[in-house]
Amino acid sequence: MLPDATAVSHILTAAGVSNAVVATETLGVVCRLEAASVLRALEALRDGELDFRVLLDFLGADTGEEIEVTYHLRSLTRDEELFIKATVAYDGELRSVWNIYASALMPERETAELLGLSLVGHPNPKRLLTTDGVEPLLRKSVPIRTVEEVRNR
Amino acid sequence: MSDPRDDVISVGALAAEGTHSAGDPPAGIRRVPSGVDGLTTEHLIINMGPQHPSTHGVLRLLIEVDGEEVLAAETSLGYLHRGIEKLAESRKYHQLGTLMDRGDYVSGMHGEQAAALATEKLLEVTVPDKARYIRTLVAELTRLASHLVWYGTFGLDTGAMGQFLYAVRDREVLLDILEEISGQRMMFNYIRPGGVVADLPVGIEKKILDFLTDFDVHLEEHHALLGGNEIFQMRVKGIGTISREMALAFALSGANLRATGVGFDVRRDRPYDAYPDLDFDVPVGSTGDAWDRYMVRMEEMRQSVRMVRQCIEGMPEGDFTAKVPKVIRPAEGEVYASVESSRGETGVHLVSDGSPEPYRYHYRGPSLFACQVLEEILPGHLLADVVMMIGSLDIMLGEADR
Amino acid sequence: MAIDRFTGEHSVAFIRSEQLFDYARSKSLWYMAFGIACCAIEGLMHASGPRFDFDRMGVFFRASPRQADVMIVAGTVNKKMAETVKLLYDQMPEPKWVVAMGACASTGGPFREYPNVVLGVDQVVPVDVYIPGCPPRPESVQYGFICLQDKITKRTEERLAARRDRS
Repeated sequence: MLPDATAVSHILTAAGVSNAVVATETLGVVCRLEAASVLRALEALRDGELDFRVLLDFLGADTGEEIEVTYHLRSLTRDEELFIKATVAYDGELRSVWNIYASALMPERETAELLGLSLVGHPNPKRLLTTDGVEPLLRKSVPIRTVEEVRNR
Repeated sequence: MSDPRDDVISVGALAAEGTHSAGDPPAGIRRVPSGVDGLTTEHLIINMGPQHPSTHGVLRLLIEVDGEEVLAAETSLGYLHRGIEKLAESRKYHQLGTLMDRGDYVSGMHGEQAAALATEKLLEVTVPDKARYIRTLVAELTRLASHLVWYGTFGLDTGAMGQFLYAVRDREVLLDILEEISGQRMMFNYIRPGGVVADLPVGIEKKILDFLTDFDVHLEEHHALLGGNEIFQMRVKGIGTISREMALAFALSGANLRATGVGFDVRRDRPYDAYPDLDFDVPVGSTGDAWDRYMVRMEEMRQSVRMVRQCIEGMPEGDFTAKVPKVIRPAEGEVYASVESSRGETGVHLVSDGSPEPYRYHYRGPSLFACQVLEEILPGHLLADVVMMIGSLDIMLGEADR
Repeated sequence: MAIDRFTGEHSVAFIRSEQLFDYARSKSLWYMAFGIACCAIEGLMHASGPRFDFDRMGVFFRASPRQADVMIVAGTVNKKMAETVKLLYDQMPEPKWVVAMGACASTGGPFREYPNVVLGVDQVVPVDVYIPGCPPRPESVQYGFICLQDKITKRTEERLAARRDRS
């Protein structure tokens, strides 16, 4: 289940990714990176000996100060899972990883529109779920409807 | 069934066989320019859905065709986006199951189970043995009910009608059993953090066993009725072939992944609830076409029947729920829990900040990833095969849009 | 059955053509196969299945809105879907009826707080029958159709009564 943290950091250092912090948390083995080095790190992890060939999931979360994106990787040959985390500023640029993991195509579009990021390097960076003009709904600053609003529909 | 783990280990070696190399853009984006060049006919863009009887909900496809042949396809989602993730941030942990039921609405128990497992991971509560068995029992019954919907509608997509009525007949009995257990036909809200909401009703074991006795026969009838039909076989064999490489690149899961020969099953490889105690096989396919997906799902139903029998035989005595506070305030932390739902790996990524409501709740729906692979597999097929490929992937838009 | 009301002991019926047409319409309510969400499983799939068998009421599904009399809105309508629902309603030939099935189509249901969800389909198209439940059982949908049949057969009588009152 849990990959060897030192092996992960070794691969990342060999790929020239600096400032990567690999730690074991409640989630599993989590690797925190700078957003700029995510692409290089993912490519190294996919092609490296740990063989993280599946991007199982991609999600973003509004931490209150910035957007934290999580890449959930899985290696089927070694039966291990790894989480890569990076942070993006509000209204910042989310660089697409679709040419490393094709499964990121739609989750990235979804995250970009629901958290208000601009998607860079994506072949089809349209909105996925909502229509034009809908505010980024998953941000903490966007409230849900109140009881009064629902009642006075 | 041979042990599929050998296949998993050789995935890397077989990588060259796949047609998808990660550098190519998906075919939905490799748009062929439409127009007349003197030799070819003009390309037509067909808008399929969101109201279409065979898109299994509100999927919308933009299909570019040259005559009968599909050149490119683009999936458009969002017609059922109703904010399960956002609303979960204002719900208590007990209430998450209500939303998850309506996510993947045909197999509601699995969504509840994923939410409950994630909450229990944060709470570090031990679920009593009986609750684990009851959960597994209802999860497998739900899998049967869900696969029956897939079986009935997959036949409808190919133009058959009879098997739909037989599937609904069996599903009615299943829903009666699930209703007796949980109180509702579809939106069960039965599995809660710490266990289940109520004990099994008296005498339900006999009803389930009676149903299974019938169902053993019915299942073979179902298989003979649809799978034994030569027209059906000719229509689905060789359609929508997904290579292993493509399945892994697009993060497929469940029967869609296993049909390509990769034997990953959350029930066996990330065991939860009573699955470690049960004896079951994980069926895998070889070519990854629609016929393989059909065969894998039919075999999964047989395995589900086996598991339900084992659950009833091995049902332990004891409590049906652990002691869980009325208002759950888990410790700060972040967890991921997944279950094998009828459609694949349904995962819940939960971030808690110590308050009674989740801070961030992410729902990984396997259908979203199956919708993505549609763009890749549709080109090159005939227009009449499009609905069959949608049907064989068993897409549920409720969890793709969330 | 109800036609006896008109014929009585005799085999010749003297009724207004509108009433006759409405009677016929109420017995062949073809609905559009248009499932949005969860309710479609109960209201469209199980309803046409062997146990509930809506066909015996003359309620049968058509794939195209051009051939349908009734639209069952079975599920949550969000802002992206609302345009499609309106378009489909406009494509249906007159006379047409709309059944709002379930909590979501009636008021927004469990998702009413999400800003992207329309608070009930009656904000988009006029609704004739609301069926409560999340999801309603097929029996409830059946009762909803019986209510719709009543509404259809009575509308000529009501119109005639209103005309009598005026004169």
